[in-house]
Amino acid sequence: MPFAAISPSDPAPGPRLQRTYGRAAIAFKADGARTRLDRLFQEGAAKIRLPRAPAGAPPQAVLINTAGGLTGGDRLAYEVALRAGCRATLTTQACEKIYRASGGEAEIGTALRLAAGSRLDWLPQEAILFDGARLSRRLDAELAADASLLAVEAAVFGRHAMGEEIGRGLLRDRWRIRRGGELIFADDLRLDWSEADLLRRPAVLDGARAAATVLYVGEDAEARLEDVRSALGGAGAASAWRGKLVARIAAEDGASLRRALLPALARLAPGAAFPRIWHV
Amino acid sequence: MRPAAATAGSDRGRDATALLKLATFFSASFPIGAFSYSHGLEWLIAEGRLPDAASVRDWIGDLLRIGSGWNDAVLFAEAWRRTTAGDCPGLAAAAELAGALAGTRERHLETVAQGGAFAVAAEAGWPCEATAWLRDRETPYPIAAGAVAAGHAIPLELGLAAFLNAFAANLVSVAVRLVPLGQSAGLGAHAALHPLIRDVAARAAAASLDDLGAATIASDMASMRHETLYSRIFRT
Repeated sequence: MPFAAISPSDPAPGPRLQRTYGRAAIAFKADGARTRLDRLFQEGAAKIRLPRAPAGAPPQAVLINTAGGLTGGDRLAYEVALRAGCRATLTTQACEKIYRASGGEAEIGTALRLAAGSRLDWLPQEAILFDGARLSRRLDAELAADASLLAVEAAVFGRHAMGEEIGRGLLRDRWRIRRGGELIFADDLRLDWSEADLLRRPAVLDGARAAATVLYVGEDAEARLEDVRSALGGAGAASAWRGKLVARIAAEDGASLRRALLPALARLAPGAAFPRIWHV
Repeated sequence: MRPAAATAGSDRGRDATALLKLATFFSASFPIGAFSYSHGLEWLIAEGRLPDAASVRDWIGDLLRIGSGWNDAVLFAEAWRRTTAGDCPGLAAAAELAGALAGTRERHLETVAQGGAFAVAAEAGWPCEATAWLRDRETPYPIAAGAVAAGHAIPLELGLAAFLNAFAANLVSVAVRLVPLGQSAGLGAHAALHPLIRDVAARAAAASLDDLGAATIASDMASMRHETLYSRIFRT
């Protein structure tokens, strides 16, 4: 099991700690009109469970981090591949908790590959950043020209039930989405709490303490825009062009984030694809 | 004439040539149509969210420091370096990335419409290898501007400062035209942004694509909401 180096820029890192590492890969294939598991690999703290789906519904795989949270230097890597013509939903068992980092960043990397005519709903639950958390997420997707993807990355800043706000920390979310070989969507969110009152800045979050980005890629993206806008309500906004739809949500806390996010996702993920676990 | 004096003279000549090109490419009269894009400010002003000079200055300042202005500066620098190195595939990749980073339909329109107009105008008056490369391509504005600046051997940091200054000046002028800011309050806000523009230009000149990153979620949402504004003067 590899050990991530402690960041040399961090003063007095203390003793080298064992880091969490996990890698999980799953592939699905079409079998007639149904989607079946093609391949499953898991290593370290990353596990994938595949509960029995209702008859006729696409599979819903659940990602589990058995380490129960992440801190600086921890690394999780997920890979999802959909062969031609199949569809599946991926979600997480719980909100990923990101603890105060003593050195380095927690890294979560996801690589999605969608073959011709496939459809993936990538719907992990939101990350919860504790004060001092440092998280770097990266989402890379390669879509065939006619594949369709719904993806969300969400985060809650501070444990609000405990009255906690983030005084320092870092969140980086990097998206690189290719369709038919062309880079069609890129996003680099960078929230760096080395600046006081970052989230209160009007151009940043204007006091909101939870945020989400939603991307939908599909030939009907523009046709879905009005429906998604009305589902988002006042906490969110959306835009659509060139076969993609992008929505952003900024909410007071995790609960109000979900109140805007779930209806919007439900419009974009047909009933059977929406993860049951989100409703629990 | 002594060689030293000749060198100093030609240095001054080069400086003046670069200055003239910068003053031209990044002046409000260079025909890229900047005046018709508000970058979402029109929606914010309609909502009463930018009521005074201080709020306008802070908003634009955040775009420059940690928002779309910073990302555009990083992309300008990348285009400048690729053009200077004669790396056409690298320049094309930067253009593709810049287009993909436009986070809303209106942002995408804003950057490719201005980029296209910039390339056409630059080729009409100041053709170079870079303007030839840009011809008939859909090129986001920071990529077209960075490539043409490099094509005319304009120093990177100076080009960045002029590019960012034009960005800030245009948004200040949006606020002045939409009433909340008087002319002199607008000029004061613009002047107050100059130290920041210098700082961002210096940092972006040393940055790579890995330094891309914006915190300004509310600004992206303002651009999305501008699309739904019933009565609009600005295209974005």
